[in-house]
Amino acid sequence: MNAIYRLQAEVLNKEELIPGVFRIKLFSEEISRAAKPGQFVHVACGKGRDFILRRPFSIHRRLSGNAFEILFQVVGRGTEALSEVRLHDFVDVLGPLGNSFEIPPDLSSALLVAGGVGIAPLIFLADELNSRKVRFYAIQGATTQQRLFCYMDLKRLGRQIFATTEDGTAGHCGRATDLIHEVIKKSAPERIYSCGPEGMLKVVADVAAAFGIDCQVSVERRMACGLGACLSCVCQTRDGYRLACKDGPVFRAEELSWKA
Amino acid sequence: MKPDLSVEIAGIQLKNPVMTASGTFGCGREYADLVDLKKLGAIVAKTVTLEPRKGNPPPRICETPSGMLNAIGLQNEGIDRFIEKEMPFLKKVGVPVIVNIAGDAVSDYVELCRRLSSVGDVAAIELNVSCPNVKAGGIAFGMHPGLVSEVVGACRRATGLPLIVKLTPNVGSVVGIARAAVGAGADAVSLINTVIGMSIDHNTFQPRLASGFGGLSGPAIRPIAVRMVWEVARELDVPIIGMGGVGDALDAVEFILAGATAVAVGTANFINPRATIDLIDGLEEFLIARGMDSVRDLVGKVKMDGSSPTC
Ligand SMILES: Cc1cc2nc3c(=O)[nH]c(=O)nc-3n(C[C@H](O)[C@H](O)[C@H](O)COP(=O)(O)OP(=O)(O)OC[C@H]3O[C@@H](n4cnc5c(N)ncnc54)[C@H](O)[C@@H]3O)c2cc1C
Ligand SMILES: Cc1cc2nc3c(=O)[nH]c(=O)nc-3n(C[C@H](O)[C@H](O)[C@H](O)COP(=O)(O)O)c2cc1C
Ligand code: FES
Repeated sequence: MNAIYRLQAEVLNKEELIPGVFRIKLFSEEISRAAKPGQFVHVACGKGRDFILRRPFSIHRRLSGNAFEILFQVVGRGTEALSEVRLHDFVDVLGPLGNSFEIPPDLSSALLVAGGVGIAPLIFLADELNSRKVRFYAIQGATTQQRLFCYMDLKRLGRQIFATTEDGTAGHCGRATDLIHEVIKKSAPERIYSCGPEGMLKVVADVAAAFGIDCQVSVERRMACGLGACLSCVCQTRDGYRLACKDGPVFRAEELSWKA
Repeated sequence: MKPDLSVEIAGIQLKNPVMTASGTFGCGREYADLVDLKKLGAIVAKTVTLEPRKGNPPPRICETPSGMLNAIGLQNEGIDRFIEKEMPFLKKVGVPVIVNIAGDAVSDYVELCRRLSSVGDVAAIELNVSCPNVKAGGIAFGMHPGLVSEVVGACRRATGLPLIVKLTPNVGSVVGIARAAVGAGADAVSLINTVIGMSIDHNTFQPRLASGFGGLSGPAIRPIAVRMVWEVARELDVPIIGMGGVGDALDAVEFILAGATAVAVGTANFINPRATIDLIDGLEEFLIARGMDSVRDLVGKVKMDGSSPTC
């Protein structure tokens, strides 16, 4: 088993990408060294005894061996408090947690499908695929052009990137899943990796199954311990409940029993 | 000189009064990277039942003001897997292991007690009586003195191991229930299990937990728990394990002053996986700062100024 660390990580950088979406760079040699694409950190937001539970965030990028980033959207109390950290503050993090995207050693081509903030873990994965010389395509969907986070990073790392926006301000007007058939036919990926809203993941899973392509998706569940101890974070799978924090957050798409 | 943190509960010697609360710490293994398990006073494992249980559908938890609701639904792999898979690990840790059990019928509890009696290295059995008794129309064992008496008495006859009865706060008189438990042979009581609660999402109009309601835990319930510990300690001569929002040494001191001999840490493990260890260190510092030799000198030492409470 891989080591799990709990430490106070210094904030080395903080960017507000658009109002309400932040990228924070945290210093930790331990977590950065151990992290694999798809894993997450469990973060104590705010100070003192304000919060009863930590908040899970995907590891967004690994930087120069001693730091990593998270990318998050303010949606409630915890993310709001986290967005208020200042440079050189220390953030209490637990990680790296969970399993990771599986990259077979002989993989030669892949397709990434990102929806909204679901892009976060896929950038770490894109970096890894790129350094392993896996040729990949990506479809990135967002509501509007401004929310196509890290689009330029994808462009730099991948073969060809397709953007979709629901308001038509960039790329195809519509949803990421609108393009999936076409891009699969064009790129013939050996594997699909996806992260985003559950409705999108289900469509990606169905299309992957129809084409007979291996597909891995990263899911979100409310979590307490993050360690596999409390059984809070179950996902329904074909073999019964499994833990998003430990058996996941990445699952093979065909394992999951999706809500109708 | 270092103060003495050791205590005795139900005939078990603990090197300090700090345990894990059932269901919040798995069987310890999950925390082994972060917590030196050998330092714990005892490990209380998550509830085990006779047969495997699937548990409730998600979402199973939600955060609430100063607390959380959970409806895990006693998911576990059943006693056979527990004995085969978890006990060898727990034995190796080398601290007292308390196994928490639950059932739908008295006969389930009895069978579990029998099985655990022959395992060896089980320091005590904790009876989780907060679950519904199927035969009694689904009312929780722990809500009725007669049912508590029956289940504790039957377990008492089935095992020579120390019996700890974990009481639910969702009753009119916790003292009445505790008295029934002690009368039927309980060696100690744990107070409290979670308080039944509910939370509704104003966007979806749906409960935040798939099962509708669940158990409230964390600092929000601490005053309820401290009061119940105090009431039971005042009325009965039985060792008490206090729990409900214990997060640090000062919280533990509150419970001990109210009459608890030991404390268990539950929800606090989630925000601070090292909460138990920090608590042990903090307790030692607390005693040193006050020039006290032993944590036992704090038990039940709350100063009441005589006036009895009225509403
Ligand atoms: C493995 C994993 C990775 C994630 N990665 C990212 C990421 O990279 N970027 C990002 O912006 N968000 C990510 N999320 C979602 C993020 O955890 C939630 O947005 C966050 O917990 C919301 O907290 P809050 O206090 O602001 O919201 P509130 O709604 O006030 O939170 C209330 C409670 O619900 C939980 N909760 C609310 N939404 C979610 C959710 N979607 N998933 C899990 N728990 C939730 C909170 O943790 C908290 O316990 C991830 C979730 C998981 C499980
Ligand atoms: C997620 C979770 C799971 C729990 N599971 C169990 C359980 O399986 N058996 C049990 O007797 N108590 C269970 N409890 C109750 C705790 O052991 C404890 O009595 C209660 O949470 C109060 O303590 P706390 O406020 O420190 O958490 C659980 C509590 C939580 C939060
Ligand atoms: S969050 Fe506790 S088991 Fe997954």
